Amino acid sequence: MQDTLRDNTYITKNIAVLCANGGDVRHSTDAFSNPFHWFTLDNPRLLTKAAEALRNAGARLCMITAYNTRQLGDPMQQVCYHFECERAIINITVILNGEWPTVPSITPLFANADWHEREMMELYGIAVANQPNPRRLFLDEELDQGLLKNSVPLSVMMNGASSSALWERILSDKGAAS
Amino acid sequence: MNTYTLPLGPVHVALEEPVYFNLTVEGETVRNVNLTSGHVHRGMEAMAAQRNFVQNATLTERVCSLCSNSHSFTYCMAVENVTGLTIPRRAIFLRTMAEEIKRIASHLFNTAIQAHIIGFKSLFMHTMEVREMVQDLKETVYGNRMNLAQNCIGGVKCDLTPEKFTYILGVLEKVEPAVDELREIFATNSMVIGRTKGLGLLPKADALRLGVVGPVARGSGVAIDVRKNSPYAAFPELKFNMITHDDCCIYSRTRVRLDEIFESIGLVRQCCRMTPEGPTTKHLQRVPVDEACARSEAPRGEVFYFIRTYGTDVPQRLKWRVPSYMNWEALGVMMKDCKVADVALITNSIDPCVSCTER
Repeated sequence: MQDTLRDNTYITKNIAVLCANGGDVRHSTDAFSNPFHWFTLDNPRLLTKAAEALRNAGARLCMITAYNTRQLGDPMQQVCYHFECERAIINITVILNGEWPTVPSITPLFANADWHEREMMELYGIAVANQPNPRRLFLDEELDQGLLKNSVPLSVMMNGASSSALWERILSDKGAAS
Repeated sequence: MNTYTLPLGPVHVALEEPVYFNLTVEGETVRNVNLTSGHVHRGMEAMAAQRNFVQNATLTERVCSLCSNSHSFTYCMAVENVTGLTIPRRAIFLRTMAEEIKRIASHLFNTAIQAHIIGFKSLFMHTMEVREMVQDLKETVYGNRMNLAQNCIGGVKCDLTPEKFTYILGVLEKVEPAVDELREIFATNSMVIGRTKGLGLLPKADALRLGVVGPVARGSGVAIDVRKNSPYAAFPELKFNMITHDDCCIYSRTRVRLDEIFESIGLVRQCCRMTPEGPTTKHLQRVPVDEACARSEAPRGEVFYFIRTYGTDVPQRLKWRVPSYMNWEALGVMMKDCKVADVALITNSIDPCVSCTER
């Protein structure tokens, strides 16, 4: 495992300094000895620096994952950026909260970040600063932004399908029409 | 000359799945491409967060049909990575074999559709007939023609008897010369060459900039293949070549796919010979609070999965990215200054999968 980590010294060193004050660094391998590096940045603003270091090292952006870390109440969200560099996967996580609500766009550095950023904007309502192309990706403009961020009451989601509410509404509409 | 906007899709005879192009056209020449998608967005990632790990193996296999096996394969690897599960050696080889059989069928399908769009109907039918042998193979061995349901967390569901290995080798004996004949036609027929050579150019610099993967990248001379770059399953023990061609055109991408079929045939043969005896599954012990990634080389390129668990039998987040996701943006480069008549052919050359992209 130490050998596989040594290959990526430049990256691990350059990004580890961005995680020194409250961030986190760890390393793992899978069953086939492929290395994975996990970094949690001190704050989202440092993402641009991390992305620049990765770009200089010839890394490729694989994916960006946004997720909620609390289901209800606490609005904390995290975004994990997955890069590939010399057979290692480098995962960079940023934490978004009341103090740091936005994440900078990395599309100027990695062109393929555009679709990922637009997807997390429309599904999770994440604010991406300076996104050069902030249009909807898959969902129509009529749908609210950040659908997966909101909790929908079960009664609203079911639209009265498990009770008599829907049936009564149809009956009353029918009565009003005739 | 005046420019005007030409809408193409979402339902179009040459498009396999719904996607909407807004082409800025000057005469017969495409000057700009604008893409609108989302017609088959199913919210599958939200569904995955409401199902347990076993149910998600079934769900992920249904993201796409042509690379269905790659989804359940990579998903299972992600769960195995997060739980620290090492699967039996026999299962590793059987998984690899199913993956390569699917790759042969997928590449043949894309090549057949290319002949269909060109208007070369007999070549289309000929290619589909060859593919049918692989479809029969899948049905005989796994019981299904498309979704093999071979992968499960901890191993594989379908064990193969020695007779099945002999049967597979027998089918490959027939498929190999038939594909060789097809490769010859695609390489020499003037009608095919006239529509594919030098068209739909994606220069290497653009391929790298846009982060494309799979045959689209390898057809532009970018040597990227997860099976070689970051070996998984039985690939570190098997002999095969990474196919690259650097003509950067439709023809180049077709050549990559057709040549890869021979590598896949070789891989399946090696698996038939080398699969060791032993168990095919291992039980999942416990689910920790952790996160993990896994990736594999699907027929269209790298599939990437990320899983985050919180100690229950349901993932907190399951996210995946398919190869087509980046390949769509490459269409803007490929279609620049092409003729309107070539739009469908260029789209097919990225082996597009809309269901995969939108989930």
